[in-house]
Amino acid sequence: MIAPDKRAHRNATVWKRGVSPPALIPYLVAGDPDLETTRHYLKIAASRGVFAVELGIPFSDPTADGPVIQAAAQRSLRHETAVSSILDWIGTIPQEDLPPIYLMTYFNLFHHMGVRAFCEKARATGRIAGVVIPDLSFEDARDYRPVFREFGINLVGFVSPTTDPGRARRIVRESRGFVYYVGLMGTTGAALSITESARRMVGQLREWTALPVCMGFGVSSKEMAQEILGFADGVIIGSRLVKDERQSDLWEETFLEFVTARDRAGRLS
Amino acid sequence: MKPVKARAVQGATAKASPVLPDLRGYFGEFGGRFVSETLMAALYELEHAFRGAWKDPSFRKTFVGMLSNYSGRPTPLYPALSLSKAAGGARIWLKREDLNHTGAHKITNAVGQGLLAARMGKRRLIAETGAGQHGVATATVAARLGFECEIYMGSEDVRRQALNVFRMKLLGAKVNPVELGGRTLKDAISEALRDWSRTVGETHYLLGTAFGPHPFPLMVRSFQSIIGKEARRQFLKTEGVLPDALVACVGGGSNAIGLFHPFIADTKVRMFGVEAGGRSLSPGEHAARFSGGSVGVLQGTRTYVLQNGDGQIENTHSVSAGLDYSAVGPELAYYRETGRILFDSVGDEEALEAFRTLSRTEGIIPALESSHAIAYALRLAKTMRADQNILVNLSGRGDKDVMEVSRILEEKGEIL
Repeated sequence: MIAPDKRAHRNATVWKRGVSPPALIPYLVAGDPDLETTRHYLKIAASRGVFAVELGIPFSDPTADGPVIQAAAQRSLRHETAVSSILDWIGTIPQEDLPPIYLMTYFNLFHHMGVRAFCEKARATGRIAGVVIPDLSFEDARDYRPVFREFGINLVGFVSPTTDPGRARRIVRESRGFVYYVGLMGTTGAALSITESARRMVGQLREWTALPVCMGFGVSSKEMAQEILGFADGVIIGSRLVKDERQSDLWEETFLEFVTARDRAGRLS
Repeated sequence: MKPVKARAVQGATAKASPVLPDLRGYFGEFGGRFVSETLMAALYELEHAFRGAWKDPSFRKTFVGMLSNYSGRPTPLYPALSLSKAAGGARIWLKREDLNHTGAHKITNAVGQGLLAARMGKRRLIAETGAGQHGVATATVAARLGFECEIYMGSEDVRRQALNVFRMKLLGAKVNPVELGGRTLKDAISEALRDWSRTVGETHYLLGTAFGPHPFPLMVRSFQSIIGKEARRQFLKTEGVLPDALVACVGGGSNAIGLFHPFIADTKVRMFGVEAGGRSLSPGEHAARFSGGSVGVLQGTRTYVLQNGDGQIENTHSVSAGLDYSAVGPELAYYRETGRILFDSVGDEEALEAFRTLSRTEGIIPALESSHAIAYALRLAKTMRADQNILVNLSGRGDKDVMEVSRILEEKGEIL
């Protein structure tokens, strides 16, 4: 077994509120339109010092995703985008071209491979910081959390507008890597409006954890990203970037807009 | 003979069995609540409301009252003597769920959840539907209780169940065709879950089968168990003993668990769940989860799922839209694991044959879903003695299927 390389985790573990730049987390669908393009995007993201990339692995039944990410998943749903193949592929990317990776997909893909087998292989690549699993509820995660911990794979906790404070506190306590605040009720890519209660909730979560509290689902413009970074530690950009994945120039342009928004927010804070 | 004594004669075990599901919604290792955080509050709210209602005599009274004066319960238990004769062997009895208002057992669950949603102060119902029976049942209850209603239905099912689509519209529901994936039940459930996560405050998701995240499997079973309770009482009253075997078709599994559950402790009563064998048992050609599937997590629950080597969900095929689904209810998975319920499959051809046999011998046109159970009962009867009894859940009537069957027969060159 290859010795685990700690570098992939560095960003994720040494991030410090008030010291580190705001966390920018772009979401990419692996293999949309092909893995070469995904590799290119990862390299660009790494060069801009993102906190992490959420790398989506396509699943046949993405119940938490809206139309943009569903369509991207359908395009890239091929054998080479299976979890195990993606881990092999990530292992071939030079470390300097790779930002910290959080694999994002539905629980069945991990379950089918076996959570322990997944963790062993993920750790062996030395390049997987954690996992983001929208349909693994806090309750059901109880059976699997110890395994992810044993292998140092961060299992990210979700908080939504429907989460009551007591529950949010428990979720935050068990979360690793970062905290994912879902800004809206619905699926990825719907229209997000930033409400006072979202600001309050994020503020509350930040009091409970030293991890970056990042807001995602429906962040559609650099202005919105900048506004979010005024009260949250980080921002996750999903559908807006996935829309442009098939055109590499356009993707880069959109991505750089969000980098600018992050840098501005960083200076302002 | 008194029913109570008959139970003793049958050797029912009184040993304490665990209360299932457990507090986390698991039946052994099956079940759970694998949904996004946005839906968790709604699931807790629903579980709390259901447990409160189910203990409340006035809710139970309203539920049973509406089933009796609106849906026509209790449904008859009918000795199908001509069918039995055609099979040769055991006597076959039919639990006539097809005689329910709207034509299938689905209305019972829709009434139960509709009353619960009203009690919870929701104003909108959404539902998925495969064959359209659950969609019609939900639209009916929405009309009766004054809810706004939207139904999600795979576009392939919209095509083959056009009559039910019209019925839903007539009842005032909006029908949304789903163009994703295999365009059948699974895709309709995904869309309904997406709708629910957007609208969870005002909307109740009226899930149609004993599937999905806790508390749905518990709740749907509780409502549908009236089938088994009635059948057990009716059979004991007529025959003084319990039936030797129960047979039900299994899509998600609500008609099966509804019939079986009240008999679980009657260990001498054998139970058979019949899945859709489709065209063949190759991937994508059937919906026999226990033959071709493995344990996975889909749409909120851990259960048997048809999936490929990478864990992607396989599409399914069955002549009957209501059985055309990649996963099965978690409680049935549990009882399959313990060996209490046995499972087998019946293919399209054999189901179509049974559809015609029951029509000709008894003057009852069954739903294509229920035809799978009839076909299996015909097989089973031949292996049993003439003094033995098989009780089949005739879960729905076939009016909705006659156009599709006529098209299939014409394609095969068999003009009636």
